[in-house]
Amino acid sequence: MAEAETDARRLATEARDRVRFEEEALELSDQVYRVARRLVPTREEAEDLVQEAYARAFRAWRSYTPGTNLRAWLMRILTNLNIDRGRREQRAPDMQPMEEGDYFLYNRLEEANGPADEERIAERLSQDSIVDALSNVPHDFRDVIVLVDIGDFSYQEAAQILDVPIGTVMSRLHRGRRILKGQLAEATVGEES
Amino acid sequence: MTQFDPICEKCEELIQPFLDRELSESEREEAEGHLSDCGYCNKRYTFEVSLRRYVRQACCSEEMSPELKAKLASLRTPLQ
Repeated sequence: MAEAETDARRLATEARDRVRFEEEALELSDQVYRVARRLVPTREEAEDLVQEAYARAFRAWRSYTPGTNLRAWLMRILTNLNIDRGRREQRAPDMQPMEEGDYFLYNRLEEANGPADEERIAERLSQDSIVDALSNVPHDFRDVIVLVDIGDFSYQEAAQILDVPIGTVMSRLHRGRRILKGQLAEATVGEES
Repeated sequence: MTQFDPICEKCEELIQPFLDRELSESEREEAEGHLSDCGYCNKRYTFEVSLRRYVRQACCSEEMSPELKAKLASLRTPLQ
């Protein structure tokens, strides 16, 4: 009798934990979607990816430790799924490393258009050109940029999500942002000059 | 672009981790000190701040559809 009562109580606690987990995970869905949308090329693919990630997260809820970083936990499921989907097979050919430094884009914009208020110079970049430039950055680099710049994850969190050393996150971010700026410069100012 | 000093070169390397809040305290002080003295780097720093804002705006402009939100909610375990 006492045993049955304990069992009932345990089940009730588990049901409550599960509901709480699902509610908390759903509250993060806008942020998860924003990251997903930039990991894959189309809205449809992003929606599929998010849906599949949530289905998997809800099935695996017991493996989440309450009190730890749920956003990173969800993001890890999302990025793993995206990699599992075989996108690595069609990876972009390795790009030539950009040798220019971080000031490259500013310098190019200034050269092409003359000096301007530095806060407004970025207005010369159109939203479409930014989205296109990011989608042209090879996957490995783009994943890190999306996690850090759009998902607001720290280097350490990005390393855990992608299961790579933190040094790899730093070098991919460094190179990825330079590739992004190279793409933006090309799209905005053109190759010559 | 007349200025090109090794300190500016170092600053150029520090700006991204500075904006990511990933520098050690001494590196952060070094970057802040240089940025307050050097117009060349300061301009570029200000540009990087606005560029990040632009990238974020451009890449986060598309909200999740209500349909997807409803689908996710329907994945929850039904209450007994």
